[in-house]
Amino acid sequence: MNRHLLNYLGWRLLQSLVVITIVVIGSFMLLHLVPGDMVDVLGGQRGDMDAELMATLRTRYGLDQPMLVQLFNYVTGVLQGDLGYSFRNSNTVLSLVLQRLPATILLVVCSVAVAVFIGTLAGVFAARHVHRPIDVIISMVVLVFYATPVFMTGLGLVIIFSVKLKLLPVGGLITPGVDMTTLQLVGDVAQHLILPVLSLSLFYIAIYARLARASMLQVLNQDYIRTAYAKGLGTSHVIIGHALRNALLPVVTMVGLQIAELFGGAVLTETIFSLPGVGRLAYDSVFERDYPLILGVLLVCSFVIILVNLIIDLIYTLLDPRVEVSR
Amino acid sequence: MRPAKLLLGLGAALCALTSFAQAEEPVRGGNATFIMSPAPQILTSAITTAGAEQVVSSKISDSLFTYDYDLNPKPLLAESFSVSDDGLRVTINLRKGVKWHDGKEFTSEDVAFTTMEVWKVLHGRGRTIFGNVTAVETPDPYTAIFVLSKPSPGMLKSLAAQQAQILPAHIYKGTDIATNPANLKPIGTGPFKFVSFSPGDNLVLERNPDYWDTGKPYLDKLIFRFIPDPATRASAIESGEAQIAPQNLVPMADLERLGATGEFDITTKGYEFQNEMEMIEFNLDDPIMKDKRVRQAIAHAIDRDWIVENIFFGYGKSAETPLHQQLTEMFDASGVPQYAFDPEKAKALLDEAGYKPDANGVRLKLTVDPLPYGEHQASIAAYMREAFRAVGIDLTVRAQDFAGFVKRVYTDRDFQFTINLLTGGSDPTIGTQRTFWSQSFKPGVGFSNGSHYVSPEMDKLLETAASEMDVAKRKAEYHEFQKLAMEDLPVFPLVAVESVTIASKRLKNHTIDANGTYSNFANVYLTPAE
Amino acid sequence: MLRRVLLSPAGFVGLLLLLMIVGMALSAGYFFPKGPWALVARPYMWPGQRPGLLFGTDSLGRDILAAIFYGSRVSLIVGLVATVCALAVGITVGSIAGYFGRGVDAVLMRITDAFQTIPGFLFAIVLVSILSPSVTNIVIAIAVVSWPPVARLTRAEVLRVRETEYVQSCKIIGMSTPRIILTQVLPNSLSPVIVVAAVLVATAIITEAGLSFLGLGDPNVMSWGTLINVGRPSIRSTWFICVLPGLFVVMTVLALNLLGDAINDALNPHFRKR
Repeated sequence: MNRHLLNYLGWRLLQSLVVITIVVIGSFMLLHLVPGDMVDVLGGQRGDMDAELMATLRTRYGLDQPMLVQLFNYVTGVLQGDLGYSFRNSNTVLSLVLQRLPATILLVVCSVAVAVFIGTLAGVFAARHVHRPIDVIISMVVLVFYATPVFMTGLGLVIIFSVKLKLLPVGGLITPGVDMTTLQLVGDVAQHLILPVLSLSLFYIAIYARLARASMLQVLNQDYIRTAYAKGLGTSHVIIGHALRNALLPVVTMVGLQIAELFGGAVLTETIFSLPGVGRLAYDSVFERDYPLILGVLLVCSFVIILVNLIIDLIYTLLDPRVEVSR
Repeated sequence: MRPAKLLLGLGAALCALTSFAQAEEPVRGGNATFIMSPAPQILTSAITTAGAEQVVSSKISDSLFTYDYDLNPKPLLAESFSVSDDGLRVTINLRKGVKWHDGKEFTSEDVAFTTMEVWKVLHGRGRTIFGNVTAVETPDPYTAIFVLSKPSPGMLKSLAAQQAQILPAHIYKGTDIATNPANLKPIGTGPFKFVSFSPGDNLVLERNPDYWDTGKPYLDKLIFRFIPDPATRASAIESGEAQIAPQNLVPMADLERLGATGEFDITTKGYEFQNEMEMIEFNLDDPIMKDKRVRQAIAHAIDRDWIVENIFFGYGKSAETPLHQQLTEMFDASGVPQYAFDPEKAKALLDEAGYKPDANGVRLKLTVDPLPYGEHQASIAAYMREAFRAVGIDLTVRAQDFAGFVKRVYTDRDFQFTINLLTGGSDPTIGTQRTFWSQSFKPGVGFSNGSHYVSPEMDKLLETAASEMDVAKRKAEYHEFQKLAMEDLPVFPLVAVESVTIASKRLKNHTIDANGTYSNFANVYLTPAE
Repeated sequence: MLRRVLLSPAGFVGLLLLLMIVGMALSAGYFFPKGPWALVARPYMWPGQRPGLLFGTDSLGRDILAAIFYGSRVSLIVGLVATVCALAVGITVGSIAGYFGRGVDAVLMRITDAFQTIPGFLFAIVLVSILSPSVTNIVIAIAVVSWPPVARLTRAEVLRVRETEYVQSCKIIGMSTPRIILTQVLPNSLSPVIVVAAVLVATAIITEAGLSFLGLGDPNVMSWGTLINVGRPSIRSTWFICVLPGLFVVMTVLALNLLGDAINDALNPHFRKR
């Protein structure tokens, strides 16, 4: 790795830190403009709670302090790796989020992989047969995928594959309460993931297919491909060795841009398939007014997304040596 | 009720009857999966009133009593009890030889500790229920005596696990109870032991081989799965992945179809302790709502039978008094003022109150805040908007989240009327009283006296009845209460809700008393799949 | 250009579908004078079960067809207004950042980054539940999560245009900066942004439906999302309540994308999308 690259990465890291700071402060301020705090919710949990007890709880959670003090306390905590304590869940925010993160990451990573793989394949295939019936059909199907909201695909898949055909489980990440070997566990998780991954990735398959098709068409028209053909290289060799590699660049960029969106889409998928992921954790904690937890989720998500984007930058420089890292 | 549904209901009742009548030999073994939503945050209900916590912790920890369908106590950890003549001393004789899951013996010390340091301090309703308890004496390890400052007949109705879970003193004493790690790895006395908890996904419990009721429980494992999406819950039950879903978790729209397959038990029993009521709470501090004629007009503008039939699919009754008819001992609608569906009368009342129709036929613009909990309140609000249009009231429905609702109604008091779901409880002192008692008007406290109804006559009635030891007199006092409440109309009861449990026919004994799915499941067993 | 859009099959179909939906929105009051909320029959009637109720009734006995007609108004308005707001914010931020560069650019772009690293839909959920679910707040939330790409795109274009000779000469003749941006830079930077706008409208409609699906819709406004939310719990038994409005969402999004593609092709016949 040369110094140039290191400098660039350092610069990107610095940028990322600034971004995270903006996220923390911004969301903290926002969440505190809200009517009703966590104790209001606790007090309202279908029971009776008197004002004295509520005041005690507010003092205990530090909710009676001025906003700036609360912000200061929070930021100091975050710097020490302490994202706060969720009293609703009797657990630290960090461990709650980390408990839920694997499910979401698994879902998002699998969905990206499936979407990129199938999408690119379909796109390249369409580009090879441009303007023939198969190209038109692929384009149409892909467009319909693109236009169908995630929740409709999800519910439809559950009804067909879980209820009618009874082939796949309706939800959850593993079958609880069963002792399994590691291999069985992997198989079990895979079974549970098929439908959620499919419903989340259909939308993105569409995007990558269109992208791959367009960029492939452009690449195929370029001189060096013609040269490759002229050199007498076989079609598949040209496609895989030369064209695809370059056509993948915009796809990789797109993954970086969309990773945040995928985390958002995961909320719907996690709700429909009752997956224990961070999306649902955030959704539930919004309704419970569990500020430290919402903030924790947003922060950790941002962190993961920034990390992914840094990695993608790296991949990009590897895929395309021509890219100047000091842009 | 439509004939088809009536038949279905009859069928379900008949099935329930025959399954008890056969008294077949219970089968040992098997795992049962129980659907829940929302998910519990912690696994101890001693410090919270949230429903999910109550359902799971009752399987892990036994309570002193359970209750039959008429809410008479049946012994569990208590073998017997006696009440002194003045009602001020309640002596409970505890079962001997009961062990906590960690092997320590269960004693009266645990009862005393939990009552005085947990229920009275940290439990939402416990503070009311055990408010009159001044001490718990422990003359020996198997006797606990509740000493009361005032007779509290309601207390004896509330010693089931869902609001009076007993915690092990040897684990909790001297610690910060709210953050004790045992809240997430509970140690109880119940038929099932804690195995693992994945927050937001599942909870696994296993059979406690040393359970005091030898031979029980029958199940090897009891697995709770937390499924937020109603359609997914219906799918899990239908596909056989889960065996039971309580508390209307499977949408009512699916019940008819699922019932018709003959594979499921559908029952409304087992909620007698809960007695939920859909009610309109009028804000009596609001200049428009203050006028009783307006409140009466609203009452006459609503077709409650339509609501029961179409929103509740017949699972409920049009409410006649603020008490639920399942509260058989107290419920009495005779001589109680009624407000039949009568749009003409509603218009006349509005005329009388001075609200004449304008050029568009609008007499009055109002805003309603439905409780954001489940779908029913929002549906009722949507219905009301249409029904009110017919009498010239232009109704706006306000949506907000749970916290926003609680703050708006109980803290800011910035509302006109709500559609609220209020838990009546197994005795009027547990739930209903707080809605009508002037003392429980406490801004900032959720689900208290939201109307700000103040009536010395009502206060006197409620206070006398609360500590009345004579059953007949108490019943008469609560009858007066029901009349007065419907006369003054600070709240308008809409529907006495019946909750529905749906379970696979293979799962037996899930509902055998008033606690229904909130009981300990020691008797539940699973017949082998065919 | 319109001709070119119309001549492409995608553009023609897209425009036709869109016109049909706009037609529904405009004629809702004519065909269904009682409005979308009127309780017209027994709840949960299947499509065609009773003559005159082509799409059946929902959980309260409202006419689903009427709800879909009125819903098209809301979905279109939400989509359009949210997009206009997102464009306004995005173009402003992007052109300022691109034109001035340096410190201003760094600050604005880090803020844009911050918005882009928070998962958009999650952020929209948080915003709507904090602000309380009303049509205005839903529009605000959608706009807040969808302006960053517009800002980036505008910035990139402005960066390109800024260096062109005609902009440079405007500077030399002493034209004021706002005037340069408004009269010279923006008009020459916006064509890719217009293509994105069609996609933004579509995304906004999907987001509104998603929010409603989670129960965060406006209860006083009949949108397609409202109907989807109403039908969701009973989708196992009476799927049509949820699926019919869903199909209209699909159709609209499809139309907008076809149209966007056609416009894109018409604008840059030789360039690929993005």
